[in-house]
Amino acid sequence: MTTHRQQLSRRAFLARAGVLGAAVAAGAIVPTVTGLPFAAGQTKAGLDPVIALLRPALQELARDTINGLTTFVVPGSDPYSQAQGVSTNGPGAIHARTPDFLMSALDNFVPLPNEYVRPVAAALATAVADDKIPLPGDLTRLLPLHLNTVDEALKKLLSTDETVPLSLVIAMTLNLVATQVNPASLHGVFVSPFARLSWAEKAQAMRMVEQTDADLVEALDVNLPQPLHQSLSGVLKFVGGALIEFSAYGSFTEYAVFDKQTKSLTAKPVGWTISRYDGIAEGWDEFKGYYQGRTKVEG
Amino acid sequence: MRDVIVIGAGGGGPVVAKELAARGLDVLLLEAGPRHANPRREWTHYENDANNPLTGFFRFGPADRTKPAWFRETNQNSFLWQLSGVGGTTQHYYGNYPRAYPGVFQGYAGADRGAYDTEHVFPFTYKEMVPYFEWVEHTAPVQTAAMGTKEEIYFRGCETLGIPVQTTKDAKGFAYRPQENAILQPGGNAGRTSDRELLVYPKATGCTFCGFCFQGCMQPVNAPRNQFAKRSTDNSYVPMALTAEVWAKAGRPITLITDAFVNQVHYEEKHGTPTATGVTWRDTNTGELHREDATVVVMSAGCTENPRLWLNSELPNPNDWVGRGYTDHFFDWVLGTFDEYTGNSKGVGSSARCDFPGHGGLENVGLPPALEAFTLALSDSGVRGAYANGRGKTGNWDGPTGRPLGKELLDIMSHGIDRLLNVLVITDDDVEAQNRVVRSALPADRNGPVAKVEFHGRQRSARTLANREFMARKAAELLKGAGAKKIYRIDWAPLILHVQSSMRMGTSENNSVLDANGEARWVKRLFIADNSALSNGLGGPNPTLSNQALSTRTAEKIFRLYFGGDPWVGKEAPVVSTDHRISVRLGQLGL
Repeated sequence: MTTHRQQLSRRAFLARAGVLGAAVAAGAIVPTVTGLPFAAGQTKAGLDPVIALLRPALQELARDTINGLTTFVVPGSDPYSQAQGVSTNGPGAIHARTPDFLMSALDNFVPLPNEYVRPVAAALATAVADDKIPLPGDLTRLLPLHLNTVDEALKKLLSTDETVPLSLVIAMTLNLVATQVNPASLHGVFVSPFARLSWAEKAQAMRMVEQTDADLVEALDVNLPQPLHQSLSGVLKFVGGALIEFSAYGSFTEYAVFDKQTKSLTAKPVGWTISRYDGIAEGWDEFKGYYQGRTKVEG
Repeated sequence: MRDVIVIGAGGGGPVVAKELAARGLDVLLLEAGPRHANPRREWTHYENDANNPLTGFFRFGPADRTKPAWFRETNQNSFLWQLSGVGGTTQHYYGNYPRAYPGVFQGYAGADRGAYDTEHVFPFTYKEMVPYFEWVEHTAPVQTAAMGTKEEIYFRGCETLGIPVQTTKDAKGFAYRPQENAILQPGGNAGRTSDRELLVYPKATGCTFCGFCFQGCMQPVNAPRNQFAKRSTDNSYVPMALTAEVWAKAGRPITLITDAFVNQVHYEEKHGTPTATGVTWRDTNTGELHREDATVVVMSAGCTENPRLWLNSELPNPNDWVGRGYTDHFFDWVLGTFDEYTGNSKGVGSSARCDFPGHGGLENVGLPPALEAFTLALSDSGVRGAYANGRGKTGNWDGPTGRPLGKELLDIMSHGIDRLLNVLVITDDDVEAQNRVVRSALPADRNGPVAKVEFHGRQRSARTLANREFMARKAAELLKGAGAKKIYRIDWAPLILHVQSSMRMGTSENNSVLDANGEARWVKRLFIADNSALSNGLGGPNPTLSNQALSTRTAEKIFRLYFGGDPWVGKEAPVVSTDHRISVRLGQLGL
């Protein structure tokens, strides 16, 4: 039997992870309306339409969060950079398609075993948060049945046989941290709380990820089976660093304009423009001779 | 039944394979990754296509790039940069071949002998190592590096440090010098033009200054594989091993099988002693398992994979030193911005260095944009101006250590990639038992439990920590002397490459895995020949030459102990890997 307090905590968790906001934005649930598409305790088949709405909403949540992350590393003239208060007049990570680069890598190529990702996702699917952080009005107006509907849909989505998208797991984690840094990030433009942070607040969030803030790890750790929970804080430390490194790396590669078939570029990469790079060649006129004319030394 | 099975075609395995093939033994060389037999068709110079650790052609994973890379667990802010494929990490190295410092060998009597890791010295003398250095230096061949613009500027900084120029291969004290590199010197049009038509072999020979050492060397265009400028083992030792019959009197070409992941070393008790008998490997394409036996087995799978394979094979580990003592030169990164052209992205990756025996070394490193940005974004000091992770060290550089991100990253990059100069700090780090490889508790892959690499970046010995600070200050001093306008120190998180000694050869059976022959102390006929066999971090110099010299010595030991032969180093003249006979034979074989 779920208590009212647990329900509030669960609501807070789902809101802070960005899930409730994404679900509302996608129309999977609608606050304040009296009629619900589905009642609590519905059949599994009955959840499918909600899942059908929730799945793309969560993908959008992941993308929005990653957008906010990559512009923290390489800002440009895009709305995410402008919203964080650090932007430029030129192209940045968004123009370099770094979010695509990062999401593709996370979801398809990071070889974290699914047997590991799934328990982490399960922990996210069942974790609760403290409810001290006030929720914005539209999220508090969700009835318990609304909450149950989206909650059941999320749990089902994360426990199906499909591979759990790592980008979503990471996005939910970043959003949890974001709402800890600034509770007001629960509301505003964009879908993701992390993307709503200022540049300085994003830095604060990444500090907490790198240092694996105890409360956060505890919240995620509680449902992880042995031996995985011993690994979670370490993996978070690694992921915290890797997200930043790969945002920087991806932004300055040819990723966005590389034609795999012809192994050639379709346009000049954004990172080459920013760094005034001369590009590739079979060689350069760079030979300057030998230091002090010495071409050989002996033992 | 083979004479010898070598596991791994990276920096060390092909050396053993080539040397024993030259003696006429039947050698099987197994490599988990791809062959890369046709670089012009398989490779490009693009950074993501080449170096993305998840999807690039240089990654630690199967040949099929649509499949995920192979997972290894790292439970800290660090980056483990492994490579599979023929050539291993020499595919993306910079060809630096400095000799180890004499102070890390047994019997060293220099005035600074207390300045090194005296608990973990090599179990033989430097004097004994020198002929093996010379053998490899001739084979590669190793040459005194040519300069580009970035080297000229680097030397300008060196000239302000108050240290002399070193004009010998042996390091005898604080000094600076051009690198001794395994990169062929530029000939013909090489280094003198960017016109592709003029850079075709033989109109151009050796290094063309293309700037893509990290993307794998395929220069000059149309050169035979063994004439490619950079002497990674896919261009040097492997071609020699595959053609041993044409350049060695009694030579017999090796059998090379790629996409073959060894997951078991077999052993049995013989006369009361565990004795290696063979291996099982999995075809990474079909999943089929194959078994083959041999008189001798040589593990050359690297510092991370050798311990994994050992532990998964349940081989004896009585002192618990398998996987321990994993050194990484505790790198750091100091860079300067200049108001002049530095040629950072062009030319040989690294052609100038400083040696500070007892402390470590410095070298210049040229980078294209994405690797530069990656380098700037890897730190244990947080984000500059935002948070410092309890660090944010200050010194003779500008501001605190840490990642420059956001506007500051753009400031550096938009200043111009070719107006930067990078200095890599290579610390003389102690062998520490706590830095190690264990089997991960996370779900195994189909070859068994995977490796977990544990690094305790901040808890190193006082000597290691002091060495890194000493070297970082020297790097900043050098950059200032060279005319840098602004100097950044990153305080790198562990970038796990240059790794050494996780299966170390040592003087004591209490803290080593190998005896002085390179044979496992507790398993007969099982040898280790790669960076993991090195006794320590060499004092700081890059490990490839020492690895290959030691592997040559190990090949001799194998030949003498189990095949009744005599050593050859110091008695015979080595054949250079660019030998014309090898080129001709490669052409006949379509390689």
